[in-house]
Amino acid sequence: MTLERQERRLGWGLVAPALVWTGAFFALPFLAMVALSFAHMEGRTVVRGFDAGNYVRAFTDWTMVKALVNSLEITLIVTAVSVLLAYPLAAIIAFRVPARWQRLALLMAVLPFWTSYVVRSYAWLLVLGQKGVVNTTLLALGLIAEPLQMASTRFATVTGFVHFFVMLLTLTIYANLIQLSPNYLRAAADLGAGRWQVFRHVVLPLTLPGVVTGAFLTFVLCIGDYITPQILGGNTELTLPQLIMLQMGRSGNFPLASALSVVLMGIVTLAYLASARWVRLDRV
Amino acid sequence: MRALSWLYMAVAYLFIFLPVAVLVAFSFQAGRLPVPPFQGFSLRWYEKVLGDRDLMAALGHSFLVAVVSSALALCLGFLAAHALARVRLPGSVLMRGLLIAPMTVSYLIIALGLLTVFGSLGIRLSLWTVGAGHVVINLPLCFAICYAAMGDQQRSAERAARDLGAAEWQVLAYVSAPMLAAPLAAAFFLSVTFSWDEFIIAFLLTRFDVTLPVEIWSMLRSGLSPATNAVGSLVFLVSVTLVVALEMLVFRRAK
Amino acid sequence: MTPRQMLPATAFGLIVMAVPSFAQELNALVWCDHTDPALVAPFEEKFGVKVNVKEYEGTAAGLAILDQSQPGDWDVMVIDAVDVGRAVEAGRLAEIPADALPTGDFFPELVMPENNVVGGKTYAVTEKFGYNTISYDKTKVDPADMEDMAVLTGGKYDGRIGIYDYYLPVLGLVALGQGMKTADINADTLPKLKEPLMALRKASKQVSDVVSSQTALATGEVDIVVGGGEWLTAVLAADNPNLDWTIPKQGGLRWAQSIGVVAGTTQPDLALEFVKYIVSPEGQARLATASCYWGMPANAKAGDVLTPEQKTVLRWDQQPEFLKRSQLYPIPDAATDTAMQDMWTEMLNQ
Repeated sequence: MTLERQERRLGWGLVAPALVWTGAFFALPFLAMVALSFAHMEGRTVVRGFDAGNYVRAFTDWTMVKALVNSLEITLIVTAVSVLLAYPLAAIIAFRVPARWQRLALLMAVLPFWTSYVVRSYAWLLVLGQKGVVNTTLLALGLIAEPLQMASTRFATVTGFVHFFVMLLTLTIYANLIQLSPNYLRAAADLGAGRWQVFRHVVLPLTLPGVVTGAFLTFVLCIGDYITPQILGGNTELTLPQLIMLQMGRSGNFPLASALSVVLMGIVTLAYLASARWVRLDRV
Repeated sequence: MRALSWLYMAVAYLFIFLPVAVLVAFSFQAGRLPVPPFQGFSLRWYEKVLGDRDLMAALGHSFLVAVVSSALALCLGFLAAHALARVRLPGSVLMRGLLIAPMTVSYLIIALGLLTVFGSLGIRLSLWTVGAGHVVINLPLCFAICYAAMGDQQRSAERAARDLGAAEWQVLAYVSAPMLAAPLAAAFFLSVTFSWDEFIIAFLLTRFDVTLPVEIWSMLRSGLSPATNAVGSLVFLVSVTLVVALEMLVFRRAK
Repeated sequence: MTPRQMLPATAFGLIVMAVPSFAQELNALVWCDHTDPALVAPFEEKFGVKVNVKEYEGTAAGLAILDQSQPGDWDVMVIDAVDVGRAVEAGRLAEIPADALPTGDFFPELVMPENNVVGGKTYAVTEKFGYNTISYDKTKVDPADMEDMAVLTGGKYDGRIGIYDYYLPVLGLVALGQGMKTADINADTLPKLKEPLMALRKASKQVSDVVSSQTALATGEVDIVVGGGEWLTAVLAADNPNLDWTIPKQGGLRWAQSIGVVAGTTQPDLALEFVKYIVSPEGQARLATASCYWGMPANAKAGDVLTPEQKTVLRWDQQPEFLKRSQLYPIPDAATDTAMQDMWTEMLNQ
């Protein structure tokens, strides 16, 4: 008994630093932000209190609602497109590429991940710009007469996002595919299943948890990102993080920025609940 | 079908490498704008970048913040994982949830929360405040990786060490940590990557000493310039060299 | 205290005094032109100090940064001349001795005592000015069209216009386009500007900050920038001589930025020295041609330091006419300011 108590005390001692850190620098600031979201501005001063005005505004003010809708649309498009593009790539690497080259193929597929994050969006700006590589090439080939308007649009934002998340998802989906025992596939084929049936009834169900976990991560990272829409979107529409940064950086309205952040947090929570059946965050 | 696969792969790789290729190619642009036409080969932007005092300082800051915050996150995560995997503690599910939670929260929200608290406590923004934020985002990662890696094999070795009279810190330092060397290294380098590349926390929680992504951001705001391409290319070159070296040394050996 | 005790105490005191002066730093909250090392370096060398600069966007954000700081965190601040009153009201600026400033050498319109002096005390000094009007590429548009703001929303230039992402000057310009004086913008008249602003937004391709606007004009992403002016085109003059700007018949806006000492600074003397350096002819010439954007110096004596080419780009000789045809920024009260910003955000998200 004393041994167990001793062990417990030791356990608490070991887990405490991490808990204290997470509490002090994550939970506490989050609660402070929630408290601040119920304050309001009078002129330039923050008036503390319990005032749901910021939330009312977040869901009734057309500008805010539109930012919310934009964010959701962009995020859903990005998540869907990224999964659809990454799955075949991961599958080809896992099943077509000879085993000894797979690691290399995978490493190559995620190599651009190692350019700086800010720089990656900037690079897309160069690719998609009026005088960028794509337009110049298409013009030179005579495929278009006028440069296409791609930078400063939603298309650019989505492209920048998809690029990043295809890399991320290829990695996570590959990790799942490679764990499938070849025996399952062989057994299914022996039982007379066609390629599509094997995929539909064996491969897909077995890899679904991995895909959903990856999709969830994509959703979280995408909806909370400021840089990509800011650099590539050209201020032609606002996403929720851009709106938060505007309220904070220009208007100095921290209560409203906090309320919008809580809304953002709420959306992520909903997404988590929707996919919780499959998401295993401790197995990422 | 097979041909189609290879075609798909080729197109996918083209898409993945297009921005990087453009980035690197136009870092050698002799002209003032990093867009076609290519006006000739020049290294002058590299010269400019390597001679930029602020940029080099930012590089140093990024390195420092990444290494220190990752080391701390790894220590905290490893100890917590050890405790929760080995000792039966009441409320352990709750604790695990709390430790993992920051992973599901946007960095922007973490940054805003910290800004609020630091502001009201009168704590001056600095590289330390950024570091604190980076520990928050990397702790769940380190914890999750360590927790997942703790198997029964280590448990018996640890018990044997304890039975032989080793103190708990000796068990941790001489038995558990070496046995988990590969996942610990993976967790550390992943953390370093995330911290190194993180923008929004570093942007909101710094004052004068900034990290590399923030410095690149302000370069970007001063217009399109091949100098930004040069910085991006240099960062890419260094990181890729590190990744390949790690891949060859650490992870290959660990297999 | 015996002499023997005094010795170490004195030594300690000397060290304490010596250390901060050795590592002395001046913290400045500024606009992007002040981040140019060519501007700051001569001051750093002369006084053996390091100048730390932090950029901010918009007065509200600048004041919010000060709200969250401790007294002594900041020494000097650059601020929109029309907003000096707001900062003084918030207790953020310290009085500076008027006789230390060479305002006698200034362009008379730029002394701006009605903005820089509050209750008989001087709190800031104008350092730089220019115009928010219409910048364009004269090879791509008809320069005659640029003399009339109504043409912009007439359909001819749809999709070729960029808007400078700052609500005060652009809303001011929109007001001028509607025949409203900038001084008349308030909570009641503001709604009238909404429709023309949205129309302008509809005709435009992007809304972007100083440098993105410059880049867009230089690379041909857009042919016209509303809210532009010499500050936008001067930096690019060497690379692209086709860029030009004008004040249309409806008029243009005059921007002016002031610099002051932040209240609570622990080194008021050094802060004042920095302000004096910035408004000295040498400092003014460097500020006028700083890397982020160019602009006219408030101190006319800077004309002796600037080169003839630089003065041509700045259009030094045409200033009397420009000054006559331009109006100051709107000076909104807090409620109007919020309403203007909200309208701007709505426009961005259109």
